[in-house]
Order: sequence, then C-alpha cells, then structure tokens
Amino acid sequence: MKSRTRREFGCLTGAMVLAGLAPRLAAGEAKAKVVVVGGGIGGATAAKYLAASTRTIEITLVEPKLNYTTCFFSNLYLAGLCSLESLTHGYKTLAQRYGINVIHDSVAAVDPVAKTVGLKSGPKLPYDRVVVAPGIAFNYEALAGYDEAATQIIPHAWNAGPQTQLLRRQLESMEDGGVFVLVAPPNPFRCPPAPYERASLVAYYFKQHKPRSRILILDAKDSFNSQDLFLDAWERHYRGMIEWLPAQFTGGIKAIDVKGRSVKTASETFKAAVANVIPPQIAGQFAQQNGLVDQSGWCPVDPITFESKLQPGIHVVGDATSAGDMPKSAFVANSQAKACAFAIAAALTGSERQSPHLFNTCYTFLSPDDAVSNAVSFKPVAGTIKIIDNFVSQVQESVETRHQAAREAQSWYAAFTRDTFR
Amino acid sequence: MRKIIAASIAAGSFTILADRSYAADRDAGAQLAAMCASCHRLDVGNGGIPTILGMSPEMLTRAMLAYRSRERPSHIMRAIALSLSDEEIATVARYLAALNRQVRP
Repeated sequence: MKSRTRREFGCLTGAMVLAGLAPRLAAGEAKAKVVVVGGGIGGATAAKYLAASTRTIEITLVEPKLNYTTCFFSNLYLAGLCSLESLTHGYKTLAQRYGINVIHDSVAAVDPVAKTVGLKSGPKLPYDRVVVAPGIAFNYEALAGYDEAATQIIPHAWNAGPQTQLLRRQLESMEDGGVFVLVAPPNPFRCPPAPYERASLVAYYFKQHKPRSRILILDAKDSFNSQDLFLDAWERHYRGMIEWLPAQFTGGIKAIDVKGRSVKTASETFKAAVANVIPPQIAGQFAQQNGLVDQSGWCPVDPITFESKLQPGIHVVGDATSAGDMPKSAFVANSQAKACAFAIAAALTGSERQSPHLFNTCYTFLSPDDAVSNAVSFKPVAGTIKIIDNFVSQVQESVETRHQAAREAQSWYAAFTRDTFR
Repeated sequence: MRKIIAASIAAGSFTILADRSYAADRDAGAQLAAMCASCHRLDVGNGGIPTILGMSPEMLTRAMLAYRSRERPSHIMRAIALSLSDEEIATVARYLAALNRQVRP
C-alpha cells in the first residue's frame, strides 16, 4: 500500500510549527531524496521550502562556501553605508530548524542515468530529483584582455565577497579628482539596474569624501533598465559627476588593459583611477558542464516546474535559467525556487499543486534616502513565461515617497534574507 | 501520531473528506503565503513593511481588494493583488489568520 502521505504545511514560520509535525511514512519506507546544488538565493530557498512543505522528502543542500554574501545591497557597502558582515548569511538555521542536510563541498557531476550527484570529495548522493542553482559565470572570452586573474587588479565584484572588499579599498585609497570607470555588460546579466545603482552610490560616496572625482560608465548597450529614473536622479543628486557613454557613442568596448588600468573602445581609450569591469555573463559553470545550457548560454526550463528542458529530473532555478521574460534577480530566484519546490513536493508526494504565482520586486537606491521600486507579475504561457503586469516608480514622485521606498527596502532586505536563510 | 491517523480513518469517510478539504485549503494557503513571505516577515517581527499577521481574514481581504482597485496606493501590492483571484485572496487571508493564532496563541 502506498503510504498515506498528506503534505504538512503551516511550517513557514519555522521550528515552532515544524516541531509539531511527525513524518507520515509507513515504517521502513524510504524517503524520497532531493539534492539541491548551490546555496545562493535560489538553492537555499528551494531547500527550505521543500523542507517546509513536507517531511517525507530527505533534502541535501551542497554548497562549497560556509556563508553566502548577497550581491544585492552590496552597493550600499561600496558607498560605506553598511558592513559586508551584515550582508552575510550562514546555513546553520536551514540545517537545525528544517533538518536539511547541508554539505560544504563542490559537486563534480550529476549522473542522470544512475541518478546520483557526485561530490568532489568522492561520495555519490542518490536522488529522485535534483535542483541546480549555479548562478552566473563570466564569459571572459567575450572581453579581450580580461580574465579570472585580472579580477585581482580590476574586480568585477558581481559575486559579493573578496572582490567587493577589494573594490571598496580601491575607492577608499583613490585620490580626489580620479575617474572611476565602470564597464556595464551586455544583456542578459544579473540584476539589470545594479550597475547603475552602483554608479549612483559610488557617486554618493565621492560627494561626501572626494567631491572632485567623477564616474564614467562605458556601456556595452545603448539603453539600460529604468534609465529615466537614473538620469533624473543623477541630475538631482550628482550633477556633473556621472557620465554615461552608450555603445553607439563609443563603438563598443573592445579590450581591457589591466596593467594600464584602461578600457579601449572602438573610438577612444579611457584611463581609470579605479576600474570596475562587469563582464558578459552566462549560466554558472556547473550548468555548462552538465548539459543544462543551450546555445544562448543559459538553461531552458519548464515554466511551471522549472525542470530542465534538456535533462529530465533536473530542475534549474535562479540566475542560470532562461525563463522567458523573467530577469535575473534575487527576488526572481526566490520566486522560482518556491514554484519549483512546490512542484517537486507535489510530484514526489502526490499532493496537490496550486497554479504558480511568479513575481519580481526590486528596490534600487539612487541615494541612501532616495529609492525606487519595481513590481512585475509573470505567468506561464505556451511553454514560456510572460509579463502580466509591470509597475515602476515614476520620475515625478515626491521626496517622501522616495524616503518611504528607502525605508521599505531596508525592511525588505531583512524579511527576504530571513525567508531564504531562516 | 500514526495512531491518530488510524483513529481518524476508523471514524469513517465523512471525517476524512472534511479533513482533506481542510488540508487542501491549508496547502493552497501555505503556497500562496510563501509569496507574501518574500517581503513580509511571517513571525512577530516588523519593520518598514507592515506586518500582515494579526489581521482578520476580512481585514486582509478588504486591504487586498483596496490595493487592486488603487484605493490604497502601492504598486508592489497592486501587482500582487491583480495576480490573485478573489478565491485565492480569501484562501491566503484565512491561512495567515490561522498562522497568526499559531505564532501568537
């Protein structure tokens, strides 16, 4: 007889509620196994919501690092407005409160035939489903002169951590009057407004401490996310400090001279006091090595279950996915991970799955007390994911509305990281 | 715990059906509430984003409908409210009220 597994919910508040539940397995019956590869926002959320949905699935989260530092809000750190520690989150609560087996190791490969996830240290973990959340990798081949080694001199700081600290130190030791050159990547890339938020918050730091300094954005694109909001804010807060040069003006970025700390475009070479090169991006290495990536460089997925369209039984969530209209953001990773977790729980326990609701919400700081927000709802349509509604802050908003958004953003960060890691 | 399940099965199909529909409602509520938890803390904590625990199902439903009609301004909440059916709003409102009773008995 199949076990009478009724999914237990009401566990989203954590230990208190979970403690009241008991496994609904017949004696001796093996639990279904899910392995989650990658402990960023997508992976951690998927593991947590699988654990909170059902106690009849054994969940293992594999992540090499002991802590995760959020890239979102790291621009506030660059501006000297928060510590990197305050953006850093561990996995202890996921293990202790939800019973997730957290393994700090790298994954060598997934074997979809044997249904095992092989760890670098040797063991192979059997799975019924695997969730892969590898995030982004950098396509260094697409940018002459710049590579992994170059990040020690010219950081991209597009994964938060040591490179973010290096960039902050470089800004601190820069002389007043220097030029900060920021190279913005082509689409698609992680967090579309973030390079421009970075320019805004570095400008804020310069205005306080190095008012003669300037920021030059060399863009691989001709337009960017929320452009009108940024241009308006730069005029109001940082007049004359930020210059944005689109590809049509420079002829595009041709090469990076790491030693000379300069950026060569088709028309001219720009010398930097501090440079920040954000390279073109592709799906994380693990996705590329395990047959999850198509010719676009990203992972095509089913819009309802987030199962890979290339490898059955393997689900992909977060920045690595190619998911229709959904941008690459932490909020999207969290939203996709929940949809994926509920779909897997339903498939493995036979419980009912509600139709998924997918969202993106994004707060962007223009200055510490001037923030804008964006809310988008999505729906699976004909094999892909389409935008249903899109609401964005307006240029004419009042100072008080912007203050309120900045306050909300801080509160959102606390709730969101709690939702993911605790 | 298995004894309790066995006892409820023995009590007859009527009980099981009633129990299942309650469970289904709770499952649906939890899946919808997961969406709220991306911004609202679903415990006693509070901050710049108002808490949604401690509101009656009626208050929550009214608030969502007010966001949907733009009577209350917030483009984030309007996007959420527009994406939910009336039934889904009622379901998540019931779920959150029940969750509040668990968190703050």
